[in-house]
Amino acid sequence: MRRLRPPITVTVPMLVAGLMVFVGFVVSERVMSRLVESQERNLAQLSEAYLDGLSASILPYMMRGDIWEVFDALDRARNLYEGLRPTETVAVDANGLVIAASDPRRTPSREPLPDSYRSRLPEDGFAIDADSGEALLRRPLDYLGAPVGALHAVVDIRHLLEERREVVTTLIITNAALTIALAAIGYLAVRRMVQPTRILTEHLTSGATGRAEPIPDAKMPPPGSEAHRLYTAYNTLVMAEREREALSRTLAEEERLASLGRLSAGMAHEINNPLGGLFNALATLKRHGASPGARETAISLLERGLIGIRDVVAAALETYRPKRAERPFGPSDLEDIRLLVGPEVRRRRLSLAWSNALDDNIALSNAPLRQAVLNLLLNACAATPEGGALALAAEGDAQGLSIEVADSGGGLSEEAARVLTARRTALAPPAAGGLGLWMVRSAVDELGGRIEIARGRLGGAAIRLSFITAAKEERVDAVA
Amino acid sequence: MRRTFPSQTPIVRRRFLTGAAAVLTLAATRRARAAESPLRLGLTPVFLINDLQLLSELKGYLNRACGQPVELVLRRTYQEITALLVSQRLDAAWICGYPFVQFEDRLRLLAVPVWRERTLYQAYLIVSAERQAQGLQDLAGDLHAFSDPDSNSGCLVTRALLAEKGTTAERFFHKTIFTYGHRNVIRAVAAGLTQSGSVDGYVLEVIREVEPELASQVKIVWRSEWLGFPPIAASSAPASRDRSDLLGDALLAMHEDPQGREVLATLRLDRFTLRPNSLYEPIAAKVALVEQRA
Repeated sequence: MRRLRPPITVTVPMLVAGLMVFVGFVVSERVMSRLVESQERNLAQLSEAYLDGLSASILPYMMRGDIWEVFDALDRARNLYEGLRPTETVAVDANGLVIAASDPRRTPSREPLPDSYRSRLPEDGFAIDADSGEALLRRPLDYLGAPVGALHAVVDIRHLLEERREVVTTLIITNAALTIALAAIGYLAVRRMVQPTRILTEHLTSGATGRAEPIPDAKMPPPGSEAHRLYTAYNTLVMAEREREALSRTLAEEERLASLGRLSAGMAHEINNPLGGLFNALATLKRHGASPGARETAISLLERGLIGIRDVVAAALETYRPKRAERPFGPSDLEDIRLLVGPEVRRRRLSLAWSNALDDNIALSNAPLRQAVLNLLLNACAATPEGGALALAAEGDAQGLSIEVADSGGGLSEEAARVLTARRTALAPPAAGGLGLWMVRSAVDELGGRIEIARGRLGGAAIRLSFITAAKEERVDAVA
Repeated sequence: MRRTFPSQTPIVRRRFLTGAAAVLTLAATRRARAAESPLRLGLTPVFLINDLQLLSELKGYLNRACGQPVELVLRRTYQEITALLVSQRLDAAWICGYPFVQFEDRLRLLAVPVWRERTLYQAYLIVSAERQAQGLQDLAGDLHAFSDPDSNSGCLVTRALLAEKGTTAERFFHKTIFTYGHRNVIRAVAAGLTQSGSVDGYVLEVIREVEPELASQVKIVWRSEWLGFPPIAASSAPASRDRSDLLGDALLAMHEDPQGREVLATLRLDRFTLRPNSLYEPIAAKVALVEQRA
């Protein structure tokens, strides 16, 4: 099954949107990583300054273990640093006991540093805990190389995380708006660009399934444009095709008339042959009309001669009457064809093996089928060298009909075979002749039949026309 | 930041010469001789020395009332101020009753502040406002904040109270720290740095008015009896008497001067007055009690 592909007016905006999403993602990722980098650098620098300042003022008190002075320094430093929001600062001594904290209720003096600090102790002196929105700082303090203790600080960085969230939101909204805008512009632009192609596609599609129509002037783009040249070329093609169709019809008519001409000559011969006998019979009647025996014989001769002439004329009329009446194909149609082709067969001194197993009418329109079979036979006559052999075998019943024409000629050319069996019927007869076979194909198509080509038993081509006439229900009944 | 003051050694030498000359001269020349160098008044954290505006007003009044420059000398501890006073490197100092009784033989009272019409105040034991404590017995095992080792209300009263109960601060409390300021004691207790503190009742009452938010974070669990208000004292050595009296007179007349009244209003004091040394006998009794138990 063919995959359903979306139109270009959808795929291009989708592609634009996809690209924008990708570009937006890459740009956002870069912006965010730079922002995070910059925030962390600033925070680290501020933290360093904070701890530097605090360390200098607090070191002497820490060495003395002066709880009040350490607390006083931490408490006063709390609001000294613009841009840094320490939530708690803790000074611990060399044994890890808290000397004082800026929030003594949470972190009492003279007790071990709480687990909340120890579990999050940054190894490099600086760590960010995004879950709690805090940064943790640690600064070991020593005096002349001897450890005095350390300063721990927890800094509120929720405003930094909030800033990150705001930047992410802004990026998403901006990128989404840009993506939608560009996709919409892409849609409109592509729609405008493919509009001429779409009109052409519609015309070509309807032309493939029916009759190709030229693009009307109202839909014509301004002269000079690519689309205008394209439309003009298409319209020229459609007009040429129409002329070719008209020409084909003319050619087919001419071919019909030509074959009529050839047949007429044969018919004249057919009619002429008994004429001598008829005139003889007339002379016999004039001279010996009084003799009942001679009269009977002459009249009988006249009658048979006239019947022969009537049959030939009737067959010709049936085949070539322009407005023929619909009638089912029957054994008599085959006999008419035999009569019509007889003069040509005799003229070329061919032998015709005739096997007509039809015993009843078939539910197929007789006119196109007569024309098709007659053309096949005439074509076989033409293809078979003088003294050659032809054969027609017809069989049929209520289910269908099969007619095979075989000859001892050189077989069908490749082009002739393609005219008969190509998947699609050519709209016009092939340029290099073959009009008769094209008419056969047209007639068989009209009747819904099938054409098969085989190597015939006479050595030349064997062309079989087969038609299924039984309705589906009837076939099911038959099987049952 | 520590303040820097002019080098004191030349001043001491000059003052020694001045004192020697005073013995030989008449009291009428007091003002002329006193004008040789600025008068020096020592202040301790008993007083609200973190109010720079107040210090400036006080200095302005004293300069005018004494008719000569007055230098305010600030030190972190009572001990430093007392040492300067006893060694006559200050002409007067606002000290505490405890140092006064310790050096009573070498000091004389110049003036005693009158607060709420009395020359008395109380010492308080305070805890944080949310703590469930009823009295001293609930404070056992606390980290306790004293103001200053030489403060009456900020240390001695509590030590004496514990001595009465047969114990000492070191045994009763888990640990004690000194904050060197009554306001610092309040801050330490309010912040939770210490569980309790010994504080000057006068300072806490003033802070209730000046910084109600800070004061509201603590509550009083015990009040001492009424004791002599921290006095302004001078060395009893006769050499510096004139200079000291200049300052004493200025303080005693403060409530009569508009600028002086502004200073008194800021300090929430009524005026300065004269009182006998006996005002501080109850404090001397506490000193004796603590020394006896130590």
